[in-house]
Amino acid sequence: MRFFNKHRNVELIISQELIDEIGIVGVEHFPNEFGGFLTGRYSDDYNTLFINDFVLPKASKGSRFQFVRRSKGMKKFFRKLFQSKKEYYVGEWHTHPNGSTQFSSTDLNAMMEIESAPSVKIKNPVLLILSVTNKKLDNATFYIYDNKKLLPYE
Amino acid sequence: MATNKQEYLQTVLETHRMSHVEDLVNKFKSKRDEVKDALTSHYGSQIYSPFDSGSFKKHTAINTKFDLDVVVPVKRDSFDTLDKMFDSFYDFLSDEFGENATVRKQTVSIGIIFEEDSDGDVISLDIVPGRELSQDQYSNDKKLNLFVSSDYGIFSSSTYIQTNIQAQIDHIKAKDNERKIIRLLKIWNNNDGKEFKSFLLELITIKAFDTEDISGNLWEKLQQVMTYIKDNVTNDSFKLIDPGNSNNDLMDTLTSWGRTNLSSRMGTMLDRIESNSDNIKGYFPTNSDFEEEDKSSSSGYGVKTGAAAFSTPPDNQRFG
Ligand SMILES: [Zn+2]
Repeated sequence: MRFFNKHRNVELIISQELIDEIGIVGVEHFPNEFGGFLTGRYSDDYNTLFINDFVLPKASKGSRFQFVRRSKGMKKFFRKLFQSKKEYYVGEWHTHPNGSTQFSSTDLNAMMEIESAPSVKIKNPVLLILSVTNKKLDNATFYIYDNKKLLPYE
Repeated sequence: MATNKQEYLQTVLETHRMSHVEDLVNKFKSKRDEVKDALTSHYGSQIYSPFDSGSFKKHTAINTKFDLDVVVPVKRDSFDTLDKMFDSFYDFLSDEFGENATVRKQTVSIGIIFEEDSDGDVISLDIVPGRELSQDQYSNDKKLNLFVSSDYGIFSSSTYIQTNIQAQIDHIKAKDNERKIIRLLKIWNNNDGKEFKSFLLELITIKAFDTEDISGNLWEKLQQVMTYIKDNVTNDSFKLIDPGNSNNDLMDTLTSWGRTNLSSRMGTMLDRIESNSDNIKGYFPTNSDFEEEDKSSSSGYGVKTGAAAFSTPPDNQRFG
């Protein structure tokens, strides 16, 4: 699937299968929120993002309206991914059980902190929000983070 | 247009972050090490190990104003008097660095201002010699006597002050919320007349957090601390005890007019920001040197300058 963000004039490419897989994991954790990392790579001209996989956090805590994920001890994982496949961390995903795919202010604050972290080398991490029910994935929206804003892809 | 105060204050702190001036900080550090080495080899066993102090050490520095201080604990028996100690340090530093720096006596320290380098940067350091109260006592409680040059304001009657700089550093350790507010108040003070001592703003912020339940987002916390200052500083019994010396009340550095002035300045700011959120920008300016330009016209996925490697996302992120 191909998404487009007008604001930065960029594309995002991800397979339907991968979104479905993420959705299945999200439904399994219903009614609690759940999430993790997205990995992939940019095209040489930095206009296209290929999301190739999703990664579950080693530790996390989800409840109906909140999700906290750790990344402690994962530096090695991201280093290996970079060395072996030239792929890297590109953003975050989490579910909104029985909710919309609209991001919350908590989500925006988290993305602000992520972008400003010295260990993060990218300026425009993406955020994927999936609305899930106890049965299925309802809807999914990608956002690009840019300069303290989250802007949806279409 | 209304300003989102919370987001705006984040930007203010972001543009004042020390990491923007990393090269400059590194120059400061290397000069500091040079001075420390010179002192250590000259004074040998007359002194204990010099240590760092100042806003940089306390993590309350802002990139428009920061200081690297070096405290040199001196053994009691090394000098007969504090002014001999002070003069000895002044003479030594003048001899050693005077050729390409201005060395001068300050209130409790000796300032070294190095000549502008090829990048146009001016590095300055403050060296604070302090003598232990009695031989070998320093290792127990870290207390020192500092010589005070006589022509400085409130200390004009005394020629020394007792202090515990280590206790002052410890006082602000691991207080991230307080540090953010301290930085914001320093940014305001620096931009609005520089009337108040950084140390006073630091102590009053910590006291507000200790006394009141300061919570909420960055703006809400700042608002509560400012309200605390407004409501309390005109009260005669309000004290700000120096963690380095319980006899030293920082409120004594303010005249009664100074107290009223501080209170009313806080009140005015709160009122004006309340009536129009845009007013926050005048009091807490961003550092335009490091403002990210409006990138609405730019395109493509951005990568931080000089960065080629992979990212590790920061720990403990909360989503809602
Ligand atoms: Zn969310």
